[in-house]
Amino acid sequence: MQADLGIRARITAPVGARGSPAFLVAGLSTRRAVRSGILWGYIFGIAIASSEITYGRIYKTAAQRDALAATYGASKAMSALFGPAPRLQSVGGFTVFKISMTLMVLGAVWGLLTSTRLLRGEEGSGRWDLLLCGRTTQRRATAQVIVGLGTGLAALWAVTAVITVLSGRQASVGIGVGPSLYFSVATVATAAMFLAVGAVTSQLAATRRRAASWAAVFLGVSYGVRLVADAGVGLHGLIWASPLGWVEELRPIISPQPLALLPIAAFVAVLCALAVYLAGRRDAGASMVADRDHAEAHVALLYGPSGLVVRVQRAPIIGWWVAIGLSAFLYGLIAKSTGTTISGSVQEVLSKLGTTGTGADAALGVSFLVEAVLIGFFAAGQVTAARSEESDGTLDNFLARPVSRSGWLGGRMAVAVMALTLGGVGAGVSGWLGAASQHTGLPFTSLLLAGVNLVPPAIFILGIGVLTLGILPRATAVVVYGALVWSLLVVIVGGFGTVSHWALDTSVFHHMASAPSVPPDWVANGVMLGIGAAAALVGGLVFRRRDLRGA
Amino acid sequence: MSDTALRTEGLSKRFGDVVALDHLDLEVPRGEVVGYLGPNGAGKTTTIRLLLGLSRPTEGRAEIFGLDCRRQPVRAHRRLAFVTGEANLWPSLTGAETLSLLGRVHGHVDEPYRGALIDRFDLDPTKKVRAYSKGNRQKVVLIAALMVRPDLLVLDEPTSGLDPLMEQVFRHCVQEAKDRGQTVFLSSHVMSEVEALCDRVAILRQGRLIEMGTLAEMRHLSALTVEARFDRTVPDLSAVPGVSAVEVDGPTVRCQVRGSVEPLVKVLASAGVTELLSHEPSLEELFLAQYGADGHAG
Ligand SMILES: Nc1ncnc2c1ncn2[C@@H]1O[C@H](COP(=O)(O)OP(=O)(O)OP(=O)(O)O)[C@@H](O)[C@H]1O
Ligand SMILES: [Mg+2]
Repeated sequence: MQADLGIRARITAPVGARGSPAFLVAGLSTRRAVRSGILWGYIFGIAIASSEITYGRIYKTAAQRDALAATYGASKAMSALFGPAPRLQSVGGFTVFKISMTLMVLGAVWGLLTSTRLLRGEEGSGRWDLLLCGRTTQRRATAQVIVGLGTGLAALWAVTAVITVLSGRQASVGIGVGPSLYFSVATVATAAMFLAVGAVTSQLAATRRRAASWAAVFLGVSYGVRLVADAGVGLHGLIWASPLGWVEELRPIISPQPLALLPIAAFVAVLCALAVYLAGRRDAGASMVADRDHAEAHVALLYGPSGLVVRVQRAPIIGWWVAIGLSAFLYGLIAKSTGTTISGSVQEVLSKLGTTGTGADAALGVSFLVEAVLIGFFAAGQVTAARSEESDGTLDNFLARPVSRSGWLGGRMAVAVMALTLGGVGAGVSGWLGAASQHTGLPFTSLLLAGVNLVPPAIFILGIGVLTLGILPRATAVVVYGALVWSLLVVIVGGFGTVSHWALDTSVFHHMASAPSVPPDWVANGVMLGIGAAAALVGGLVFRRRDLRGA
Repeated sequence: MSDTALRTEGLSKRFGDVVALDHLDLEVPRGEVVGYLGPNGAGKTTTIRLLLGLSRPTEGRAEIFGLDCRRQPVRAHRRLAFVTGEANLWPSLTGAETLSLLGRVHGHVDEPYRGALIDRFDLDPTKKVRAYSKGNRQKVVLIAALMVRPDLLVLDEPTSGLDPLMEQVFRHCVQEAKDRGQTVFLSSHVMSEVEALCDRVAILRQGRLIEMGTLAEMRHLSALTVEARFDRTVPDLSAVPGVSAVEVDGPTVRCQVRGSVEPLVKVLASAGVTELLSHEPSLEELFLAQYGADGHAG
């Protein structure tokens, strides 16, 4: 939101002064991209450093390290989720295994959100018209934004690299500068690719939301393909069919394979060129995949704000459901084969992730953490969507009519709670379907409850989001996504090693029992629901009393 | 039932250090059409957002038909409709869907009138909002407000983006609303529109109400413009009582007169005037005079 203010201040200042429109768009995009690149680079760097530094403290002896390797190295469930783990006896191998996948996915999310925001989002807001006044072509403007995005990526990489190199030089870590730099390149490689994917979908889609969703679907498919490739079911060749797989094949630190940079670089170059080419084939503000301009009226859902949300959001909601259902189904499918690789010593480490037991339910217990994260992001998306109704002014249409603020917010959140509850139940049911198809023998009710168990953390996130919407509306997106990413990193880092209990307690996912391997902790769930509801209530009360605020 | 459609008492709004509205006392009786004028940044939109409960006053209060704008917004809003020139609609809905949604939210719609409005404004309701031009989006917003036949119409630059033909249609619609006894609160920079429609005019400057009255009253208080042509030398008019703003342009002189015109007429007659033109100030001139030298707010 800060960035929005920045761009507005800029528009009034330099249009005449700085002259060249080429410089202007590139400059504006660079500012915004670099700012967020630095922030995320910091998060990436800290995640890598904390993993590297804690490794030596937790796994002190060779025996401990061998046990660790025996545990994860052989686990197909772990390999499917986080990628293969060939050399866990070394700090580098361990770190790559532990956080690479998470950072890869986060980097991709950063890339697609940033590029769709600066391309489709800015264009849709009409600010480009203002800046360019027809002084440059659509194609050039797009190329300039891509330059800006590239600079942002460089910032992301630079910050990540500096922290990674510094951490590597610690005596207890001992990773050379070269390998550290290569590792940081691998860490931001997905960000580069998904910046490019977002640049293309921004040309195709008519709205920013849609452009981001299409890119996210591509990310989901890429992750799914590499998951199957790493699941140890004899399909490892598939790894080359997924952009995330290429990054995996870079194999930083352990056995570098820089050749895998080729497809990555080619992918980025081709997509960027494609984006620029497509930009020239359409009008400013228009999209390639034409939206029909005329339509018959469908008014069934249009009885008020909540109905409108269902109508406008049904595509993204269904998209999330499909993503959640499909991934849970996949996890169910591979649970049996991966679960059988879990030995006694594995249990000990898995228990740090909150999972006990052996076999398929243990594998699913870890997998469902991923589902919880997905549903958490879904909840965050609902709150930020509510906030954007306020900031883009469409909310005025309701509140200037006989609709109360509590009615709007309540209805909005009721739809969100319903959608994410159905998402949770869907995850349980699809997980069971996948598992049952392999005769895993897990009871339906236990998986159903594991699905329901995913809902309280999401409702907690929703509550925190509403609280922020009430008291600090412009920070809503930063706070909810920040809380989510933080929770995720803490639980990942904490699951593999020791993180202080104080830090663990700040992660909402830490408080979720990893059903189905253990029964849901209904007390903890109750507490999360209670805090979420209370936060939402306070947020709602403040919201009723404050001014509506634009972007 | 209250006879006052709209009333504010000491209504004030600050944004940090900026005083956007400073103790506004305003009363609009039922059935009246009031123009709300002021330079950019005077606080017109701020006032309207306070009336609608979209912003909260720093001080003071406002009511609509006796209903407090903060405490009973929903009841107040059943009686009014709001149009802004900066409205944001949902891009993926069609015009017809938008009208249907907004009508249902309001509760009561005069269906035949809605059809008539769509015809009169020449709107294609099957188009998606995304594909409408600015003026066509504005038509949707106008129709949505007029079709519910509210007791009070609150209009903030309602004709922004409309072409002159549609502007004419809009005027007819407001005239009809007035004839039906509806109250209209119209903020606009189109002076001819305000002049044609409004019974009374309020002028706001830097958050303060500086003038409120009928056009006739305002004209009375202000200067008459006189233009005279001579075949001899142009006389010096600057010393004539009541005369100001003298401009000489060759054989022609233009000036403003306040109060009695008698002294001026005498001087003109003795100087051998050949042509004499005088006219009352238009609202535009009144407005410009009001804002004059120091009038422009940030
Ligand atoms: N949300 C806000 N935050 C800070 N200042 C604001 C905000 N809204 C309005 N202002 C300030 O309040 C003052 C009044 O603004 P307002 O929008 O009411 O003017 P207006 O009379 O409607 O002007 P215009 O004719 O340009 O529409 C201005 O100085 C403006 O800068
Ligand atoms: Mg205004």
